[in-house]
Amino acid sequence: MKAKDSILARFGLPLLVAAVLLGVWHFSVVISGTTIFPTPWEVVKGIGELASHGLLVKYIVASLFRVTWGFVLAILVGVPLGLALGWFDRAFMAINPIIQVLRPISPIAWIPVAILWFGTHDAAPVFLIFLASLFPIVVASTAAVRNMQLVYLRAAQNFGLSGIQLFRRVILPATLPQIITGLRIALGIAWLVVVAAEMIATQGGGLGYLIIDARNAGKRYDLVVAGMVMIGLIGLGLDLLMRRLEKFDEVRWGVGQR
Amino acid sequence: MSLRSTLLIFGLIWIAAITVLHGTLNLEWGKPEAKKEKFAVGFIPVTCHLTCPVTDFINQNMEGESFFKPMRFSGFPELKEMFLSHPDKMPATFILAPLAMSLREQGVPIKMVYLGHRDGTAMMVHKDSNIFKIEDLKGKTIAVPSRFSNQRLLIFKALKDRGMSISDVKLVEMPPPDMPAALSVRAVDAVTSGEPFMAQTEMDGYGRILYLTKDVWPNFISCVLAVHEDAIKNRREEVQALVDGIAKSGKWLDSSMDNRMEAGEVVAKKYYNQNPELLKFVLSKPPDRVKYTNLNLVRKDLEEIEALGKEGGVLKGTVRFEDYADPSFVTDDTQVKPWDYKGKGVQR
Repeated sequence: MKAKDSILARFGLPLLVAAVLLGVWHFSVVISGTTIFPTPWEVVKGIGELASHGLLVKYIVASLFRVTWGFVLAILVGVPLGLALGWFDRAFMAINPIIQVLRPISPIAWIPVAILWFGTHDAAPVFLIFLASLFPIVVASTAAVRNMQLVYLRAAQNFGLSGIQLFRRVILPATLPQIITGLRIALGIAWLVVVAAEMIATQGGGLGYLIIDARNAGKRYDLVVAGMVMIGLIGLGLDLLMRRLEKFDEVRWGVGQR
Repeated sequence: MSLRSTLLIFGLIWIAAITVLHGTLNLEWGKPEAKKEKFAVGFIPVTCHLTCPVTDFINQNMEGESFFKPMRFSGFPELKEMFLSHPDKMPATFILAPLAMSLREQGVPIKMVYLGHRDGTAMMVHKDSNIFKIEDLKGKTIAVPSRFSNQRLLIFKALKDRGMSISDVKLVEMPPPDMPAALSVRAVDAVTSGEPFMAQTEMDGYGRILYLTKDVWPNFISCVLAVHEDAIKNRREEVQALVDGIAKSGKWLDSSMDNRMEAGEVVAKKYYNQNPELLKFVLSKPPDRVKYTNLNLVRKDLEEIEALGKEGGVLKGTVRFEDYADPSFVTDDTQVKPWDYKGKGVQR
């Protein structure tokens, strides 16, 4: 593929698809004559209205704050737990079943529990995001250790490595690519549950809160869709950031050359 | 840079930055702390709870600061969970009367101390539908906000008064914010909930009133002010101030249409985040669509709800007026004077 083709393909084609979809959206609203569902332009105006009131920045910051803390806490708990479960068979046998029971429970089901434990301030949404992103991280870290090629371990042990040394110089680097993949999935999920998590926020706003609040505001479906669009765009941005991590040498060597 | 130092540096800067931003933008960090923890009261953005923000707003305007803190929720389930589990953080709330009775039956130590409103509910049908009287509802699907809503019991009563029964209609539960859209696409035949969601369908041109509460159950009550018993015991003065404030707000709201328009404007913009025209519509068309006077706890009114609740299967009938109500904060209604607050007219 020629260089100029590839730039055209990378940016032109997605933009073309987006334009077609926006067109379909616009004309479906116009043709159906609905007065409830907004056109794309009305959504853009809704975003403009939020921005002019200073709410857009506030809401984005609030959501990013909750996702950041929920996700960071999930990493701090999930990665060590996953590595331990992968390494110690007994621990795996004891703890894995309960993890598999908790894993499929939707964050929405946890909302009442979150309110009972934490009230309605930031701790409750952070807890929900923590829960939602914890399990993918634990599962990915556990699998990373259990799938590690034994040849690395044997070689390292032949060189006399053990304990912390073995962990730092062999296990962690060998499992890192898979853990990073797990983190990427987990961050996607963390951002996904922001709407559910912010159903309970009574102060501080947030993009998920915006959607719930706009429903209460009567016919403000332009703001509902505006919230959805912002969540989508920021989610894309977060994923692009996470993907950059995979470009580091420490991660690449385990991925295999492509 | 290596992965580890990049992650460490970038991660720490990010966490610090987003935390500080959130603190300053959303949590009012750096602002002087209030001297005393305010008395928090839960509400949701419906006109049945209007005296909550009105009292807060008038207080702020007259005293410079409010004595209580209104806490807004998006729906009754979350409000109820917070009220149940954190009496220290939210000792009082506006809540559906049958729900308050049911919580009491289940042993939750709360009591109603005052009413939130009178009337303020409608049943809406699509303007093109062939439903013109209550009898026409036979076989139709009606959306109600919750099993514990008094709107559901209102249907029981309306049907019973016409020799029909609840088995003649099909009830579905639906969050009130979703009702206007459901009616517009005719996913259901009729919707009923507190305002302003019903007026929304009328303002948008596809909803028609089948009945207002005054046609079926005059002086209807859906929401009451409930308080934890701990607060009744230990924070008596604050509860009394709240009840007095609500009583004065109610009188203020019902004393002139100008006050109602002022309230519609202020509450829509500052508290409910709704279209001010919608709230003004509810408060004026007709003016007795919702009322805020005559808010004393009347045994007969609550016992009627109690009986219907038992019939409707949401109450067991194990609690009496003395168990779920504490009228000791209520003063003589005729002696209550409205706030001496002249609306300044909000900046439009």
